[in-house]
Amino acid sequence: MRPDRRPRSLKRVLARAGKGLALALLLVWSCGPIVLMVTAAFTPERDIFGGAATAWKPTLENFHALWSRWSDFFRALGSSLVITAGATALAVATSLLAGYGYSRWRSAFLARTAFGLIVLRLLPPIVCTLPLFPIVNVLRLNDTHIVLIVLYAAFFVSLGTMVMRAFIDQIPRDLDEAALVDGASRWQMLRLVIMPLAAPGMVAVAIFVIVFAWNEFLFAFIFTAKNAKTAPLVLSEMIGSLDGAEWGVLFAATTVQLLPLLAFVIACQKYLIEGLTAGSTKG
Amino acid sequence: MPLTESHWVLNAQSRSALPFIAPALALVSATIVLPAAYVLYLSLNASSFGQAPTFVGLANYEKILTDPYFWRAMRNTVVVVLGVVHAELLLGLGIALLLASGVPMRRLVFSALIAPYAVSEVAAVVMWRYAFDPDIGIATHALGLIGIGPLEWSVHPWQGLLMVALLSIWLHLPFTVIIIYAARLGIPKDIYEAARIDGATPWQRFRCMTLPLLMPALLVAMLFRYIFAFRLFSEVWLLTQGGPARTTEVVAVYLYLEAFRYSNFGAAAATGWIMVLACMLLASFYLHRLYRDMQGHAS
Repeated sequence: MRPDRRPRSLKRVLARAGKGLALALLLVWSCGPIVLMVTAAFTPERDIFGGAATAWKPTLENFHALWSRWSDFFRALGSSLVITAGATALAVATSLLAGYGYSRWRSAFLARTAFGLIVLRLLPPIVCTLPLFPIVNVLRLNDTHIVLIVLYAAFFVSLGTMVMRAFIDQIPRDLDEAALVDGASRWQMLRLVIMPLAAPGMVAVAIFVIVFAWNEFLFAFIFTAKNAKTAPLVLSEMIGSLDGAEWGVLFAATTVQLLPLLAFVIACQKYLIEGLTAGSTKG
Repeated sequence: MPLTESHWVLNAQSRSALPFIAPALALVSATIVLPAAYVLYLSLNASSFGQAPTFVGLANYEKILTDPYFWRAMRNTVVVVLGVVHAELLLGLGIALLLASGVPMRRLVFSALIAPYAVSEVAAVVMWRYAFDPDIGIATHALGLIGIGPLEWSVHPWQGLLMVALLSIWLHLPFTVIIIYAARLGIPKDIYEAARIDGATPWQRFRCMTLPLLMPALLVAMLFRYIFAFRLFSEVWLLTQGGPARTTEVVAVYLYLEAFRYSNFGAAAATGWIMVLACMLLASFYLHRLYRDMQGHAS
């Protein structure tokens, strides 16, 4: 054993321990609140308030209570699903088309409108609620799914277009030309050549919209009252009305709202990362 | 290629692209551009429900800029935004470098670290209220063990804002981590080899290589987080509703209350345009550079 070996390995052990500790703290920070809440959702109401000295026995009683007393919540979950699907389809379709347009043609007009789209992305959404509120009333669209679908899609068209352009830029133009020479129309070419190759970009855009639309609070709060209420809105009403007395039901509802999306995001993280980098550094 | 296109006549390139970009432009025009323009008009008028707007010039702006509640909301927003964004950048940089230095089960660890990205503001408020509940909160107990009293976020304004800031950092850290980590992965490995052979210390490698190379990503993350943090509404609304006694209001909450509680559309619209201007000002450097790039791109 060489004499200089020991201090070096000690240093390495310390460095490793430090790294492990930092990692453990970070994991507690990022997952702690989620794990805590989900665990509590499966805990009997009385045990949530202290008295949990006995072993933890998972129970579905909070979910039963939610089901029997908050049918409103499940209707809202349905609304959320419809709105999320609609907004995603609308945003992905318009972004794909616009991304293709901006990728394949160049002009001062296109440069100006692309710049305009980026500026719009910076505007605070709450600003647009003021005039939209009376307009939505006049059009009798208040408390409908359509308002939220259009609004959610509109606020992601800008990012979506930039992401799609970045992805489509990487598809060689020769492929377009070849398809056109073979007699395909622009639209056929878009569907048969571009769409399959730009699919990862479309998935990335879809993830952004899905996460946003499923979780959004402000617009839902302002533009829905009863029929089109989304799940986050009902959750916020539960926070208000329960006032700490019925944590169990609230936790069960929050868990139902949270877990599907969490699983989805973790499954799709690769696309999420690609999309975020394409959208923010190249846009 | 010379650009002979005037403002109103589109050249062949633009005309070919138009059918593709038209739906996107129509969508944002109808829901963002026109409403924003109308807000500008509203901000120069006095109006409320069922009342025709009357032109009042800059009176709304004057009213807001002399309203102590507006300034309190602005001060709260600035303090929270500065604290949140810079804490996120520091943490994000640390996490990105930690991940890049090699950790066991990297995919799993990464998934765990970005999990809050999927959590809604409402769900996050539920979790954090539970963790910091004065009686049963586990975080309250943990803080008690190291001698820190319960966080009375519903009583003391600064503690309410601290809670809002913690929640915001928790929710948005994944975004910052992803941006910085992706940029860190883009740095080629061999330059670190070369630096090691030249005898650079870890600190020197960080100071003279990693940090400058990550700077563009750090700036982009900072800009976007400034802009998005400035919109802060839901966390505050769901935690404190701006209370007690309007002490924890932020600008977006102030706007909401002016519009939908006090039915004072002129003042709310003026607040909106102050927000728009603040965002543009924050982003002006970035937008200027981008505009130059795009002009180059177009020809």
